[in-house]
Amino acid sequence: MQPDPWAQWLAFSARFTPGASPSGTAQNASSFAPFADLSEHFNAAARAYFDGAANAPAPAAAAAAQSFGDSLRELFSDIQLPWNLSAGTGGAPPMFAPNSPALGASRESQLRAQRMAEAWRRIEEAQRRLQRFGADAVREAAATFGAGLAAAPPQAPSAEALHKLYGTWIDCAEDAYARAAHGEPFCNALADYVNASSEWRKELQAGIEHSAKLLDLPTRSEINTLTQRLMAVEHELRALREQSRPEAAATPQRAPQRAPQRVPRKKAKP
Amino acid sequence: MTNNSFSALAALAAATPGAAGCSEREMVRQSGKVKLYRYRPIARPSVSTPLLIVYALVNRPYMMDLQEDRSLIRGLLNEGLDVYLIDWGYPDGADRFTTLADYLDDHLAGCVAHILEAQHLDALNMLGVCQGGVLSLCFSALQPQRIKNLITMVTPVDFHSPADLLSKWARRIDIAAWVGDGNVSGDVLNQLFLSLMPFRLTQQKYVDLLAANPDRAGAENFMRVEQWIFDSPDQAGAAFREFVIWFYQENRLAQNRLEISGRKVDLRTLRVPVLNLIGKRDHLVPPAASLALKGLVGSRDYTALEFDLGHIGMYISARAQHEVPASIAKWLAAR
Repeated sequence: MQPDPWAQWLAFSARFTPGASPSGTAQNASSFAPFADLSEHFNAAARAYFDGAANAPAPAAAAAAQSFGDSLRELFSDIQLPWNLSAGTGGAPPMFAPNSPALGASRESQLRAQRMAEAWRRIEEAQRRLQRFGADAVREAAATFGAGLAAAPPQAPSAEALHKLYGTWIDCAEDAYARAAHGEPFCNALADYVNASSEWRKELQAGIEHSAKLLDLPTRSEINTLTQRLMAVEHELRALREQSRPEAAATPQRAPQRAPQRVPRKKAKP
Repeated sequence: MTNNSFSALAALAAATPGAAGCSEREMVRQSGKVKLYRYRPIARPSVSTPLLIVYALVNRPYMMDLQEDRSLIRGLLNEGLDVYLIDWGYPDGADRFTTLADYLDDHLAGCVAHILEAQHLDALNMLGVCQGGVLSLCFSALQPQRIKNLITMVTPVDFHSPADLLSKWARRIDIAAWVGDGNVSGDVLNQLFLSLMPFRLTQQKYVDLLAANPDRAGAENFMRVEQWIFDSPDQAGAAFREFVIWFYQENRLAQNRLEISGRKVDLRTLRVPVLNLIGKRDHLVPPAASLALKGLVGSRDYTALEFDLGHIGMYISARAQHEVPASIAKWLAAR
């Protein structure tokens, strides 16, 4: 067995599954357990529904369907959506209040820390908004799922029927999620999350560069400058070679190369 | 499902995904990290002009040749085509300033020139896949004399179609700030792709796997795809920034406003035959995003074929194996 994809798979499954421990279980096959648990919980809820709805009068069947939907909502309530993985586990907590005065020789560092604290606050706020969209989608999906069950007579509780029900539940969840994800508020929350993360990282990088300069270590900026100079030389060399080819005149040429420039950062759309 | 779970676990634990790619091939050109492969023929030639496959930058190209019974390349070879493939490699920190123009003018153009010189031809057939289709369109518009026939597969052209969730998300993000001066992590991009359908992609497929109780072959099939999905190269920062801003945010290709390195990319100059292959259930590249090509190219010989498949299904599903390579070969043979 090749270890990389397997380890990757285990780590991935452990991170994304409700109730999974965020660390420590990725090294053994028990990381698959959350998916088995999820199946078992789903099956238990489905069997309870079948028991309650089979041969029952319409109101009792409707109540069983609603109860099934409620239990799914509960089961999926702590789903870890991809953008929330770092919540509470990565990055630095705010060290400085954003609006406190920056004084003395370390004034620049204080300002940087304040900007990081402010960016971190925005990251967490955006994560909460995104998580709320996820929770709302699960709630909406549970209601849709329950209503659909109430409208259709229950099948016999076979393995196929359970699997089909699970597929229906996922369809409901994805539909509800897609409705939210295509909407303006969700897109804005995601953009706020990414943009604030970019600002936080930029400040962190600036702090590291500052420390590296104090220690006379090569910085990322210096390496970037060298890389750009090297690329410019490579482009010039290639252009000269191209010009020396006899058929060059017939081939459309790209514009003369210069050292790659930093692109001015564009303001995000509001 | 408990018994199934144990069986599935055992099968997965025993699964050996194996080396990626199954068809025999030879590396015929290398420039930096970019390699050009030529596949060994396995059938009598049906089309004399070679076919160059241009894959996306965001994933590894071995999905085109995943295993013997799930290989678009194998299917094309069986149809008698002479197949080349570009492997873009894994960009690292030294590639952070590599631009789209570098990919087009240096790497892609270099591969095309190599094939044309080696085979004493003026033009070749090109098959662009997903983002590679966008690169192929740009290249074909810039150097139409080098393309005999162009095939685009699950290729976005109109990046502002209503169902394009990725585009809606990308439009509000400050991409220049996100990329900074570095590369973009493939892992982070994967999170983004998973977020498009989180319930299906992070839960259902694993629960379904347990329920299906796969045998060793089934588990290996699953693991090969899984390996591919998460084998995501980092993206060269400058090219990524240009791609997202120019295509996803500003939709320049569809609006005929795209310039690369000072040259206008006008799809109306593209007059060679075009075959556009579309997955009707593609959640990454909605059909409308691809279908827009018809109204943009100058070619009078335009064909669109829609398959009832998803994005990945277009390469590896059983139906794709039967339908896609044969459709390509038949279309090429007629031209």
